[in-house]
Amino acid sequence: MARGKDKKKRKLEKKQEGDDVPKKVPHTLESLREKDETMLANVDDEEKEEAQKDMELDELSSYFQNSYEPKVLITYSDNPHNKTRIFGKELMRIIPNSLSRYRQRSSVKRIVQSAIRESYTDVIIVNENQKQPNGFLLIHLPNGPTAHFRLSSCKITPELRKDYKEITTHRPEVILNNFSTRLGLTVGRMLGALFHYEPQFRGRRAVTFHNQRDYIFFRHHRYEFTPDGKRAKLRELGPRFTLKLISLQQGTFDSKHGDYEWIIAGRRHLMETSRRRFFL
Amino acid sequence: MILSNEWEFDIFVGSRIGSFKHIKYHTDPTKNSKKRVENLVDIKSLQKDDTITSMVWGNTEQTEILIGKKNQQIQIYNTQRAEFTKTYTADFGTGDVVGLGRHKRKLLAAVASGVVKIWSKKEETTVETGKIDRMRVCGDDTTLFATGGEENDLKVWRIGETQPVFIAKNLPHDWLQLRQPVWVSDLAFMPGEGGHLLAVCSRHGYVRLYDTRAQRRPVCNVNFPGMAATCIEPGLDERQVLVGFGRGQVHQVDLRKGRPDKGYKGCAGAVTSLALHPRRMLVTVSLDRHLRVHSLDTKQLLYKQYLTSKLSSVLVQTETSTPLLKSSEVDVKEELEETESQPVDELDELFDSMETVGEKPRKKHVSNESVASDNAKKMKPSTEGSTDVDLEDSLEDKDDKILKLLKSTEKQKRRMQKKKKEKKARSVFHTA
Repeated sequence: MARGKDKKKRKLEKKQEGDDVPKKVPHTLESLREKDETMLANVDDEEKEEAQKDMELDELSSYFQNSYEPKVLITYSDNPHNKTRIFGKELMRIIPNSLSRYRQRSSVKRIVQSAIRESYTDVIIVNENQKQPNGFLLIHLPNGPTAHFRLSSCKITPELRKDYKEITTHRPEVILNNFSTRLGLTVGRMLGALFHYEPQFRGRRAVTFHNQRDYIFFRHHRYEFTPDGKRAKLRELGPRFTLKLISLQQGTFDSKHGDYEWIIAGRRHLMETSRRRFFL
Repeated sequence: MILSNEWEFDIFVGSRIGSFKHIKYHTDPTKNSKKRVENLVDIKSLQKDDTITSMVWGNTEQTEILIGKKNQQIQIYNTQRAEFTKTYTADFGTGDVVGLGRHKRKLLAAVASGVVKIWSKKEETTVETGKIDRMRVCGDDTTLFATGGEENDLKVWRIGETQPVFIAKNLPHDWLQLRQPVWVSDLAFMPGEGGHLLAVCSRHGYVRLYDTRAQRRPVCNVNFPGMAATCIEPGLDERQVLVGFGRGQVHQVDLRKGRPDKGYKGCAGAVTSLALHPRRMLVTVSLDRHLRVHSLDTKQLLYKQYLTSKLSSVLVQTETSTPLLKSSEVDVKEELEETESQPVDELDELFDSMETVGEKPRKKHVSNESVASDNAKKMKPSTEGSTDVDLEDSLEDKDDKILKLLKSTEKQKRRMQKKKKEKKARSVFHTA
């Protein structure tokens, strides 16, 4: 009873206060996130400088100096089923200057070799299980890094009742959201480096990689500004999918002998110490 | 003598972007902070190929560090003068510098293509060893050095000779008559054996011990299927080695029993280098940009520090110590303050430290406060008549009385709790 009264009181107070009072930040897992020492936001200047240097000198830096146009090879596990094929083709439409090829029983290491020879800059391999795409391997060429993601809740355009022909060939804008730790930055940079550094704004196409609680949500939209120019209307073009990082490897793909920069397999319970701890 | 448990040592770390850091590690975890980490190289000046690929002590006093880089530069850092004293260029072969060492005044350097060069004042000699991943100079007998790489098994060489002293022989073919692949990723001379015992680890997942006196095949072979070993370091006990792996595991391997002994957890990325402190501490650096200190015996993670860039090599200074450059003044000040505060009373200090460690005093305080508030409530009705007397008393007496009361109430409380416990115990008995 008392609680109910309190509620009424609180409501009244809120009304009296009006809209001037800033809203309190709700307590969610993200807002209460455990402090991560690798986040760029909370380090001192010297470390920031070093992190900056680290990024300047890493394998992806040449993309961010706009020195080359990305050229992407998309391939699958052997004998992909319909959904995975369509998914790959849609990826091909989304990523400019990309090519989808069947794997033809070739090994990843050989694919990497020949892709380097053909001056590709990235290789995407979509794995499939039970007719559903479930793995996403992203290899940056010529010398790494390699990111392995788990792919889930993939919805291709027919499932969203969209037409893939709506996806124009304009180069899209890329939105990388919420990649805050050092690991997250690397992953974000890798994903960003798939797309041409110069978007064609005419196409009004936006590709979003949104990180939330270590899950990277992919969405693809066409936007249109309202006549007053204040808001943008969105139209989803599809596909949709979710990625979760399994491992990040230094160098190109070599799961047997390679050096991992970050890997969660085999130590998940050690690393996931709390629900409020996130790695990206 | 209380301070004997607390001590510190120096760690030097090299990274893949070329930064070179000095960390003063203190065994008291509260005293470790980012202030105790300092850069010894100007970060702004770093170039693309400054990656530090190998780092070893240049002398037994551990005041000189030899640093090999990817751009084939070899630098000598003096810890006492805190500066780079000499620079060599290893342009006699291709690839990064994979091994360095000293024999008296001679400097040995190896590059990945397999050329080992021996510099001395008068002459320069080179030795071809075939593609290598690592070269190390023996600590006991510095005329010996060993090399190994992918499909290039362990070879031991003596300075001045063109042919190896010892060439390892691979294990016999397996039960399918298939050749066992060879890939020496790191090797180590076991200390105190005169350079006869060598341990080798491989990216194909094995750790082998060779005895150059006994046979060409390994004396002991320990398999780690599916685990790529990246670095090895002789342990503190006899015939023990510590091995780091590409997926972030660290294991102690007992080469007498021929099986893994202990595992050290915590690394999220590949372990790139290990170092040991004789007071049973294990220092690891890994590609996840962290430096970790484990207790060798208890396997406990004692310390973890984020060092901003991917780390490639680590050294622990055991013979001497080096002060921090920047914060040396601060340290001195702190020390002064400490010395000033010390002469008060050692016993007092002892007790102070004891009180702050446990949790009990906090509970006591809380209970005291609660009891006090309880007292205040209880006192009101009963002391109405006696307020005059209280007023007459001096303040100190009052305090004493309060204290007494507090104590008595505490005792009462304890008794009550005891009784409760007993009752509970009885009830349990009954139910049982």
